[in-house]
Amino acid sequence: MSAVSVSGLSKSFGLLRVLTDIDLPIEAGAFTVLLGPSGCGKSTLLNAIAGLEDTDTGIIEIDGTDVTQYEPSKRGIAMVFQSYALYPTMTVRKNMSFGLRVRSVPRPEVARRVDWAAKLLQINELLDRKPSQLSGGQRQRVAIGRALVQQAKVFLFDEPLSNLDAKLRTEMRVELKRLHKELGTTIVYVTHDQIEAMTLATRIAVMRAGRIEQYAAPDDLYEEPATLFVASFVGSPAMNFMRGRLLPGNAPAVQVGSAQLPLDGYRFRVPPTAGQEVIVGIRPEHVALARDEPEAQIADAELLFIEPMGADTLGWFQFDGHRLSARLVPQVARGISGRVRLALLADHISLFDPTSEARL
Amino acid sequence: MTSSRRNARIGRIGLYVLLVWICLFFSIPLLVVISTSLKSSDEVRQFSIFTLPAAPGFAAWIKAWSSACTGLNCGGVRVGFWNSVRILIPSVIISVMAGAVTGYALSHWRIRGANIIMLLLLFCAFIPYQVILYPLVKTFSTIGIYSSLPCIVAVHIVFGLPVMSMLFRNFYAGLPEELVKAARIDGAGFWRIFAFVMLPMSVNILIVATILQTTGIWNDYLLGLIFAGRDNMPMTVQLNAIATTSTGIIEYNVNTAAALLTALPPLLIYFVSGRYFVRGITAGAVKG
Repeated sequence: MSAVSVSGLSKSFGLLRVLTDIDLPIEAGAFTVLLGPSGCGKSTLLNAIAGLEDTDTGIIEIDGTDVTQYEPSKRGIAMVFQSYALYPTMTVRKNMSFGLRVRSVPRPEVARRVDWAAKLLQINELLDRKPSQLSGGQRQRVAIGRALVQQAKVFLFDEPLSNLDAKLRTEMRVELKRLHKELGTTIVYVTHDQIEAMTLATRIAVMRAGRIEQYAAPDDLYEEPATLFVASFVGSPAMNFMRGRLLPGNAPAVQVGSAQLPLDGYRFRVPPTAGQEVIVGIRPEHVALARDEPEAQIADAELLFIEPMGADTLGWFQFDGHRLSARLVPQVARGISGRVRLALLADHISLFDPTSEARL
Repeated sequence: MTSSRRNARIGRIGLYVLLVWICLFFSIPLLVVISTSLKSSDEVRQFSIFTLPAAPGFAAWIKAWSSACTGLNCGGVRVGFWNSVRILIPSVIISVMAGAVTGYALSHWRIRGANIIMLLLLFCAFIPYQVILYPLVKTFSTIGIYSSLPCIVAVHIVFGLPVMSMLFRNFYAGLPEELVKAARIDGAGFWRIFAFVMLPMSVNILIVATILQTTGIWNDYLLGLIFAGRDNMPMTVQLNAIATTSTGIIEYNVNTAAALLTALPPLLIYFVSGRYFVRGITAGAVKG
């Protein structure tokens, strides 16, 4: 278990700036996910930590040692790649032990570690096969096994599950979580899949255009997104956004269309200004069919269509020029049509500044 | 039978007729050469080149191999054969391996100006020999190895390198970059990655490169004539000497036999390894 610290890291490819002033302290034993759309620099950041990519400025520390100038093999890391990158001419056993043999680890120790990893990943019977004789999921296990035998300080995963089919991906996700729990190692994991990030991470760094937009625990990220981008990127189905205005007066509230939502419990990061234009974000699960809520919080909306998703049904509504989604109980959703009264649960909304896109 | 099916069948027959014609067109010279080489000298003189040998025999082949005369030297083409072999082996091994290393370095290691190097290589591959022959001769004489085995080997390596490097670069560029990354994290360096990860994956392209170089160097005439020196004249040069010797009667049967003997090694290589050739060329060509 080792801590990783990235500070002041920047990186350009020619004129293109891919990473800008990245600060990322990672605690020992944490499962940190770098999340973002493609091209946001998350893989470049991971490669920089691995030492596969040179950096322009900034310092990378592993276990308190400045490793910025170290070769990848000297950093005490192991890495799993999206394409698995198994050596095609070697058997699984040779693949897993290659790094150890390069480092001249004694033979019995190599055998012991390979057996240990093979047992942990349930790939014992595959050890003498070539990678081409394995399925995608098996290759993925071997790739993880090759990283495990290194007994590295930090494990780096570069979109390891994105080449697997949906069912296998879910299985491997659970497997990875189990491994992290059993081994307690520090993991840095890159993905563009926000569900993977939410389920696996102890802490998520959401990246956009070479910057970290928010670095927080999954729950915090979900409940209090720091920027409009984080709010829209995390959560599926996505958060609803509507234009609103802060109301003047003693009790803070926000006007959205015909509805007025009280903001008593809202933790403003900056003192609000009355009359300010805002973007109101509300997640689909916080839009419900109205029962006995105060009239002010009711949105009079038109049902567009419903999307059954199994456990829930997503209802899509037209309200005040916005398209609004609500997570509904399937049995209830089947019974609605036409104009519907929706309650907007004000306790769970997020407010953003329309120009800076930051949370208010 | 419907008319469209009949038309298709007629088309098919037409196609085969055409193919047979093309086959004959290209194989007749070869067949004539083979048949002439199996005749006796008298038979060659008396009958047309298209008549088949009355009593086929390998006398001309044996003479061509062991006692045909080049000027005053009557040792047959075998002298040239062994010269060609001695030129071929070091030239092929060194040019292929050097090309493999260069291609690997240019494709998987960030080298400043790698693209410019590639451009220069491409340019070099198309420079006509004639332009640099004289400067090369001067250079080698200055160094003092002109007209020797090392000289001709060096020339073949230098002329082979651009194409070899590009062939291997294109092949290696098609392999995932992550493979090299994984090996670097595993602690392997430039040479170890080359030897244990890249080379074992390169069997097909190595075969292709070897074929290209072997046939190219074996068939070379000009460079051998200029750089090899009297004692190392390759088989092609000697074949020409035998065929153009103007003293006495021209022995067409011996000449054709010598020509076939010279052509045999590349022919055999194509027959044995044709499928690798096609496979490897496409493997190298698809991604680049």
